[in-house]
Formats: sequence, C-alpha cells, structure tokens
Amino acid sequence: MSVAVGRTSPRAQLGTQAPRIILGILGLVVVVWLAIKASQGGTTFIQVTLNGITTAALYFVVAAGFTLIFGLMRVVNMAHGSLYLFGGYVAYIAQTHWFGGGGSQFSLGGASTTSIAGFFVPLAFATLVIGLVGLGIQQLLLRWNQGQDLRQALITIAVSVIFADQMVAHYGGIVQSIQQPTSWPNSITIGALRYGFFRITVVLGSAIVIGVLLYLLFKHTRFGMTIRAGVDDRAMLSALGVNVQLVFAGAFFLGAMLAGFGGVLGGTMISVGPGLDTQFLLDALIVVIIGGMGSLVGAAIGALLLGLVQSYSAIYLHFGSLDLSNYGVMTSFILVIAVLAVRPLGLFGRAA
Amino acid sequence: MERLRRLPRGRLAVIPAVALCALWIAACGSSSSSTTKSAAASGTTTSSSGSKSAPANALKIGILSDCQGDFGAWYNSDIGGAQAYFIAHNGAKAKGPVPSDGITGGTIAGHPIDIVGYGCANDTAASALSEVRRLTEQDGAQVVIGPLSGDEGIAVANYSKTQPGKTFINGTSGAQDTTLKVRSPNFFRYNGDGAQWSAGVGDYAYKKLGWRNAVVVMDDYAFGWTSAAGFIADFCADGGTVTRVYPPLGTTDYSSYISQIPQKYDGLFSAVGGAGLLDFLKQYVQARGNFKKNTLAGNIFLGDPATIAAVHASDAGAVEGTSTNEDTTSPNASAYIAALKKAYPAKTNSLPAPGTLAGLASSVFTVNYYVAAWALDKALTAVHGDLSNGQAALHAALAKTALPDAPYGPVTLDENRQAIITNYIAQVSGTGVRTIYKVPGVTQTFGGTFSPTTPSPGRGQPVCQKRSLPWQGKEQAVSFH
Amino acid sequence: MSTVANTPTRSWPPRGAALLGWAVLAAVGVVLLLAPLIFDLFWLSQILTQALWLGIAAVSLTFLYRYGGMTSLAQVAIYGIAGFAMGNVVHTINSEGGLNLGWTPWLGVVFGIVVAVLLGLLFGAIASRSYGIYFLMITLALSLFVFYFFGQVTQLSGFGGIRSVSRPGYLGDPITHPSPLYYTCLGCSVAVYLLLRYMVRTPFGIALQGIRDDPGRMSSLGYHVALHRALAFALGAFVASIAGVLSVWFNTQISPGSINIQQTIAVLIIAVIGGLSRLEGAWIGALAYALIDYYARQHTPTLGLWLNPGRFATIIGVVFLLIVLLSPDGLIGIGTRVWALVTRRGREAEPGTAAAAPTAEATLEKAGTMATGGPPSSGRQEA
Repeated sequence: MSVAVGRTSPRAQLGTQAPRIILGILGLVVVVWLAIKASQGGTTFIQVTLNGITTAALYFVVAAGFTLIFGLMRVVNMAHGSLYLFGGYVAYIAQTHWFGGGGSQFSLGGASTTSIAGFFVPLAFATLVIGLVGLGIQQLLLRWNQGQDLRQALITIAVSVIFADQMVAHYGGIVQSIQQPTSWPNSITIGALRYGFFRITVVLGSAIVIGVLLYLLFKHTRFGMTIRAGVDDRAMLSALGVNVQLVFAGAFFLGAMLAGFGGVLGGTMISVGPGLDTQFLLDALIVVIIGGMGSLVGAAIGALLLGLVQSYSAIYLHFGSLDLSNYGVMTSFILVIAVLAVRPLGLFGRAA
Repeated sequence: MERLRRLPRGRLAVIPAVALCALWIAACGSSSSSTTKSAAASGTTTSSSGSKSAPANALKIGILSDCQGDFGAWYNSDIGGAQAYFIAHNGAKAKGPVPSDGITGGTIAGHPIDIVGYGCANDTAASALSEVRRLTEQDGAQVVIGPLSGDEGIAVANYSKTQPGKTFINGTSGAQDTTLKVRSPNFFRYNGDGAQWSAGVGDYAYKKLGWRNAVVVMDDYAFGWTSAAGFIADFCADGGTVTRVYPPLGTTDYSSYISQIPQKYDGLFSAVGGAGLLDFLKQYVQARGNFKKNTLAGNIFLGDPATIAAVHASDAGAVEGTSTNEDTTSPNASAYIAALKKAYPAKTNSLPAPGTLAGLASSVFTVNYYVAAWALDKALTAVHGDLSNGQAALHAALAKTALPDAPYGPVTLDENRQAIITNYIAQVSGTGVRTIYKVPGVTQTFGGTFSPTTPSPGRGQPVCQKRSLPWQGKEQAVSFH
Repeated sequence: MSTVANTPTRSWPPRGAALLGWAVLAAVGVVLLLAPLIFDLFWLSQILTQALWLGIAAVSLTFLYRYGGMTSLAQVAIYGIAGFAMGNVVHTINSEGGLNLGWTPWLGVVFGIVVAVLLGLLFGAIASRSYGIYFLMITLALSLFVFYFFGQVTQLSGFGGIRSVSRPGYLGDPITHPSPLYYTCLGCSVAVYLLLRYMVRTPFGIALQGIRDDPGRMSSLGYHVALHRALAFALGAFVASIAGVLSVWFNTQISPGSINIQQTIAVLIIAVIGGLSRLEGAWIGALAYALIDYYARQHTPTLGLWLNPGRFATIIGVVFLLIVLLSPDGLIGIGTRVWALVTRRGREAEPGTAAAAPTAEATLEKAGTMATGGPPSSGRQEA
C-alpha cells in the first residue's frame, strides 16, 4: 500500500490555499462575534480582554524561558513547568519562614500584613534558586547528552516526574498563596472599571520589562550576539574560540530563572499547588507551538493569542440558550490546529 | 562515532546495579507469591506486610486511603483516625509516632486485631480498585475501612458486591451515588455525603440572612455539583432563586468566570473545591472588592482546619456547612480528641499542618475513619465476634448500629446503609471557625429531593423549586463559647 | 542504517545460544498459557492482565518510534477516546454516566475502535508534518487536550466517569473470574505483535522506515511523506484503541483520571524502560512497571518525606531517569548485553544479537539528529 504522488501539482497548490481561506473566514466570524459582544457589554468586554492580556503576560514570562533554552540548545525542557511550580513553593516557604506571623496567608479582611520586602526578597530568592536548580539540571544531566534532543527531553520528563512527586510529598495537596505587600491595593478603579492591581501592574509590567530586556540583551549585548550566533551555527561559534559551554550554562540559568520568576508571579496572582506544573508546561508548549520554537516575538504573540482565546471562550460561548462554555478547551485546540495547518513550524518558527 | 565507541564501557557498569534491582524484585516476588499461593491453598492468608504470626482467629483489617495524588497528604490522618480508636478502646498499641508504622495487640470481641495493610490509592477509581483488591485478595483482609474520595467510593462499593463475604466501611468518600444508587449490601457509610454536609446552610441564608437570590459557584464535577445541590435544595425549598456558575474543574484563573457573576445578588455560595477555593476568593476580591458582611457562604472546604490555614475569611461573616466542629467543647468530642492525643501525641511532618493528629481532629479525614472503626467495634461486639456464614451477622448488626455518642453528633443508618447525620452551620473568621447552628437528622434524600431514580446532581440538578424539607426551620442554635 | 538490519538473521537449525534462546521463549510461552493455573487471582489480574494491556498501549508507541521515528505522547489519549466512545454507546448498569445508548458490547467495541482510528488519523494529519521533538510536543499537547476535553465535557465523561460498562458475555466478571479477560489480553497482545511485525515488512512498512531515516530523500523519490506518517499514526491508533477497550473491561469503568498526564507519561516510561529498539520491549516494560507499582506500595522503606510507600512516582521516575541516562535501549538492551556476556564464546555465530545494541543506539541518536537538523526541506514543500 505504497502511496506516491507528484510533488507540486496544481491541486496541491489549491490544497495549500484552502486552509488559509477557511481560516480567514473563521477568524472573521470570531472577530465579528466578539465585536457584537463588545457592543453589548462594554465593561465586561474590557474586563475579559484585560483578563486575557494579563494571563498572556504570565504565559509569556514562562514561555520566554522555555523558548530561550530551546532556541539556543535545542533542549525541550519538559521540567520547565516543575521549575515554575517549584519557584512558587520556594517563594512561599521563604515568605512564611522569614516574614511569617500570618503574613503569608491570604485574608479576605486584610488583617495580616506583608511588607514590601516580604514580597520582593522571596521573589528574588526564588528566582535565583530556580536559576541554580536549572543550572544543576543542565550541568549534571543534560550537558553530556548535547545534540541528542529526544534523550534530553526524556531526561527532563523524568526530572519533572520526580519533582512533581516530591513537591506533593513536601508541600501537600493544599493550595497555597504568596501574599502581595499589604500596602498595595487589591484592585484599582478606572472609571466604571475595577481591576486587580497586581495583575495589571506587576504581572503585565514584568512581562513588558522582561520582553524589552530580553530583546535588548539579544540585539545589543555581546552575550546576546553570542547566543544568536549559537542558534545559527554552534560549530562555527566554537571554532571562533567562544566558550560555548559557558554560553549554554548562562542561557539555561536565565531560562530557568524566568520559570522561577513566573512561578512567584503566578503564585501571587493565582496560587501554588499540585498540577500547576503540568498546566503551565502545557501552556508554555502551546505558546511556543503557536509562536514558533525559539522565537521571542513568537512567544509574545503566541501568549497573547492563547490568553485572549482562553479568556473569551470562558464566557462568550453562550449562543442564546445554547451553552457551549464547557467546550472552551476546544478553542485552544482549534487555535493550535489552525496555526499548524498554515505554518507547521509556528507563526515565527524557522527551520534551523 | 566517538560517542558510540565510548558508551558501552560506561554502560557495562550498570549491569551489576540492574542485576541487584532484578534480584530485589525476584526476591520480593518469590516470597510474596509463594506465601499467597500457599495461603490460598490453606485458606488462611497471611499478609506480606502485616504481622507475621497472627493468631488463627485474628480479625484482618485493611485500611484504604490515598498516599498519592491531591489527597496524599492525609494518608496518615486517615490511618491514625482508625487506629486511634483501636488504641483507645481495644487495647492496641502504636508501633511508632507515625500512624503508618502500624499497631500491635488489641482485640475486638475476642478477635485479635491484625492490620494487614494500608491501601495507597491516588484519587482515581482505578487505583482504589487495585488497592482494595490487594488488601482483600492478597492480604486477606476481612474488613476494609476506606476509601477516601468520591470516585474511589463508588468503585469500592461496586467491588464490594463481588465480595459478599467481606465487610466494607467507608472512610471519608462523599459521593451521593455510592450509597444512593450502588446500594451494595455489605458497604456501610457512617458519614454524610457531599450534599448532606451543606444541609441547613440554604435555609439559614434564606431565613436568617435574608437572601432571596443567590449565586452558586460550583466546580463542574461530581463533588462540586453534589455539594452545591445540598445548598440549592434547601434554599429553593424556602422559595429562593439561584444563578449557577460552574467553572471547569482544574481552573486556576477564575477571572473570566467571576465576570459572569451578576453585579446584584444577595449572597454567594461557594462549592469550589480545596484546590480552586483560594484562587477563586482571591480573584473575586481583586475583581469586585471585599465581600460585604453576610454575603458569603460555602461548603465544607471553607472551614477545613488544614485549609483554613491558607484561606481566611475574616470579618465577612462567612458561613459554611460542615459535619464537624472545630471549636467544640462537648464531652463526646473531648473524649475523641483525648483519644487521638493519647494514641499519637508526637508532632510529625507526615501529617499536614498543624502536624498532630489531635490538631486535625475536626478534619473529616480523621474523624470519619475513627467513626468507621468505632462502628466496626460496636457491631462485632454486639454479635459476640460472629464472623461465620459470610459475616452475615456482622452485616446485619452494622446496618442497625447507631452511634449516639459519635464525636460530632449522633449517627444512624438508613435503609441504604447511609448515615443520617447531624450537620452544622459555622461562622468562619480569621481566628477560626465558630459553630452557630446545628441541623439534626440530615438524611441523604433531602425529604425525597434525591432518590435512586432521580437524576444525580449536575449543572442543572436539582431544579430550583419550593418543597418541604424535614429540617426546615428546625436548626438549633449552639454555642461552645 | 539500512532497513535490512531490521530483519533478524536466523540460522536453522538453532545451535548453542540460539537454542537456549528458543528454550527460554518456549518456557515463557508455556508460563503465559498456563498462567491461570500458576498464579492466584490477584496476580493474574492485577499484574499479568494489566501488564498485557498496558503493553499493547506501549507497543503502539514503540512501533511509531522504532519504525516511524515518531515519539508520540498521544497514545493514551487515543485509547481514552476508544474507551470513552465505547463506554458511551454500550449499556451501563444503573445508567451510571455517559450517553448509555444501550448498544451491544461488540458493536461498542467496533464503534470505539473506529472513532479512535479516525481521530488518530486526524491527529496524525496534524502532527505528521512535524519531526522529532516537535512531534513529541504536539502529541503531548493533543493528549492534554483530550484529557481536558473529557474532564470538562461531562455529558460524555459521565458523573465521575462511566462506570459498570457492560462487557461481552463470555468475559463474565473479570474480578471473580479473570481468566477469560487474561486470555483475551494475551490473544490481543500476540495478534498485535504479529500484525506489527507483518506491517513493517510490507512495502508500506519499508517506506515508513525509509521516511524515518531520510524524509527528504523519500520525498524526492516521490513518496508522500506526510501521508505515510499519518497512516502509520492511524495504525498506532488502532493498536492503542485495542488497549483502550481492554482497559475499560479491566477497570470496569473509565474516567478522565484514567487518561491524565500521569498515565500519558506512564506509557512513555513503560515503552522506554522496556526498550524502544524492539516491539517486545513494550510488554517487558509493562511487566516491570506493574511489578514496581505493586512492590513500591508495600516494601518501600521510609526516609522521611523523601521516600515512603506513597512515593511510587519518585521511584519510577528515578528508574526511568537511570534507564534513559545509562541504557537508552532499556531492559531489552540490558538483556542483550547480559546475553552477549553469557554467550561471548558464540558471538560470531550470533550476528543478530550482537548487532542489536548499537542498532538501537543508532536509532535513538538518529531521531535526535533528525530533529536537531530541523525538518527537512520536504516538510516545507508540502506546507
């Protein structure tokens, strides 16, 4: 049952155009539907859009580290979600132990207090610790398997299995929360709109700052140029006398730090608990599948698309009396298929 | 190429290590399979993990809990609950400071107690089935106490039908179907289901807090629906109306679902589970500001002592439905807590915060296993240790066993071998949980709202309609302060 | 690596080590056939039957990897689709979950497998233009989508799963009488094994292996690379769907928890532990997995929170890590090397076994370099 066809027939040409046309129509329908919804309930629409954007900001921070590591080393770090969650736990433990006295506990009445340092010291500490943990994984387990990317993926899967189990063992099944400084407001009001302060300032702000810094790092520093050169041609870089191993270690450290930093932001904006490692690994995967592996811009666009789609589909899948909101998960699926159908390597992916 | 040549040398070094592993497996395998084979032949199964030389008339008990998955942290809380009863009332002794170290000695109605093993499931039906089979078929347990969670309970109740000569006493699992629909003759549950644990809250909210329309936020799965069903049945029975919001299970970012909640409502009932509750409340406050006084109520998760450490609901006057009291001073509960303290005084990191069994006394994970052991002791004593004829006498006695002195209020069984319990309404605040009302005689059927033929609780079930419930307006004020 | 190397070289009549090999094989066969007489109910059911159906799930992955160069993490999702599809259409006692359309069990089996194969074809079409590590990521994402889908679309996944799914009458109650289900799983395992062995020698199978080794060249030769890969994926889906049906009969129920990420990883672990170089590895890995699972819950020493009977996942994770680090071709590879040590004298007479280890090694690295080099040009032309 051998199947052989001609390579480029006119029909194949049409075949490649068909998905684009279908997707164009589909995209148009979605935009029109959202426009209708936006005109019906302006405040809610803005709120839901902001939800999508702030969620996307968190996804971007996590996915940027993931795509950075992949871009340079071709390592798909399946333990990235574990690093994210572990970062949250490290910050939670640090906050409880060093700034304890109920400060780490969420309170509806706001009776407990957390100082500014009580938030930022655990944040910095956890970011650093996770960077070192990532560095350890790279040096101990991955360094001598360079180039065998499937084996490296399997190794990081094993690491994530062990991490997930140990985190349940040590921190239990209860969901915990990292406390933002008490002096910060819970929410801010702009006109008729009330929105979570932490989400819109710290999370969104961090994502923008990180995005800009990474961009500058890549484009305007020697380290960044070395990394970009490494992405294009590792052997040549090595031949030029650059210590490639040092560059790899630095990049892995940075990527892991971003996971840990994301974990602390997520642990404050949402929570820290079992299962989030898988969830954020999946989100990072989808973001980079959509955006293209190894592309920073792709990660930003992918995160934005995923965040908005998830946010809109959570509430705008009611069609009259027909409630499809529990099929919301399908929209992310359709998004991935749609992108892959047109661009198998993602929006900004390119063959190495 | 170079790597190819170098690798085998390194890999040869593995062989001894793997050989050791293989030997370990082989050794365990031969010892265990030989015991079970010979045991199966002789009819007196001995356990591979329990005591080596149990007397012939020993009562073999297996305790089934979760050691993995989201509830894995409560493994020792469950085991400790059951064993603390045997230690306090049957003369058993703890082997170590951690409950899973085991117990020695102790008799029930002349039968020496032999704990043959601890079931270690992971919150899925498949794992519970596998573990209960290990306990009964491999380790020869005659009585199983457990399991922990809802789906597991249904699986074990179904399994119990294939083992009519054995006895199954539920641990903490609270799915409604387990007893209402499966109705296995040798499966007994001395604790309430998820709906019973919410009983009275709706009535209280309507009559005392003056709610007329409520928002019910529930996890979109069995326990969320069941637990919300208890509130909805009560609240609608009085004439209230509800708006239901059901975020998918596993949601962490609730912001978009919070956008769905109407701006105007009298009160909000949260049937969001342990994992999502913190996320939900936190994001609600971010999006809408703090809850106004007396506008928040919730299911059992709002006040579980281990969860309360993470979630405070101070100053908002939040109320929860619960089957236990954290603040109790009643003699029955005091005796129970003293028994836990005596059996396992040491603080251990094998238990969730606060790290002592007595500190987890009001957790359903501890007390329900304790009550299960109590029911077993009482029923077996009543029939003078008669285990003959497929434990027929024990089954009959268990079905009739009432525990009027249970730690948190009397328990009796209905015709489906499901507990009729006392439920409580408690005020949750930053300083703890304060019990304010008790709801006696809560039945699983909610006065006919639920029956074996009605639809199981779901997104739209039960429908919101006026009806009469046995405990409407019969809540009694209590105060332990 | 040429495709010819996949065909084991055998000499007949067998001599020396080969004779020993056949004797071991015969002994295993006899033990498997007589298992209900040798093992008690629990072992027969929870260890052997479970290992057999898990092995079928894992062999679908081993096949895709070994002959198609596709490390698919969607196999659990596909067996879940088969299980849920069957569970929804057949009769369930007490109407416990699902659509409960009341079809006969065999019709349900056919329906489940057809649905799973069709969706497998769709998944294959989506993923088939991606290679190596991209393929793994996309199939992982697909797998998680399926899990979340059944977790959230409760009309199809029931009230806490679909329970008491009716089985064909001859199976009886698999808890009290596990033998019929055991023999069913054994028969299916043998049939699946023979089917896959047959398929890899057909022109389709040879072409598939060519595509695994060099998709660009195969495309130049006029082969439709993506279609071949999608069809191979559908064949893998067919095998996985059999495992799905058997798993539902074995557990008497299926719930979203049966196909969660842990199970997805478990099937990957099984295939890798057993050894990706040979199809048999899947069942060896499944048996090892079932044994570790069983013993870890009882015989694990307690070292504080780090290690105790609840830490099965840590143990299996460490085993998995060691295997990947030290013996990429798993227990099969270890066995091969032990075998080579034992029969060192007759090594010249045994070219097949001696070549097996480096072959497996080469395969793993092949897939690695393939992805490192990025998808070949053909992948882009079809886009």
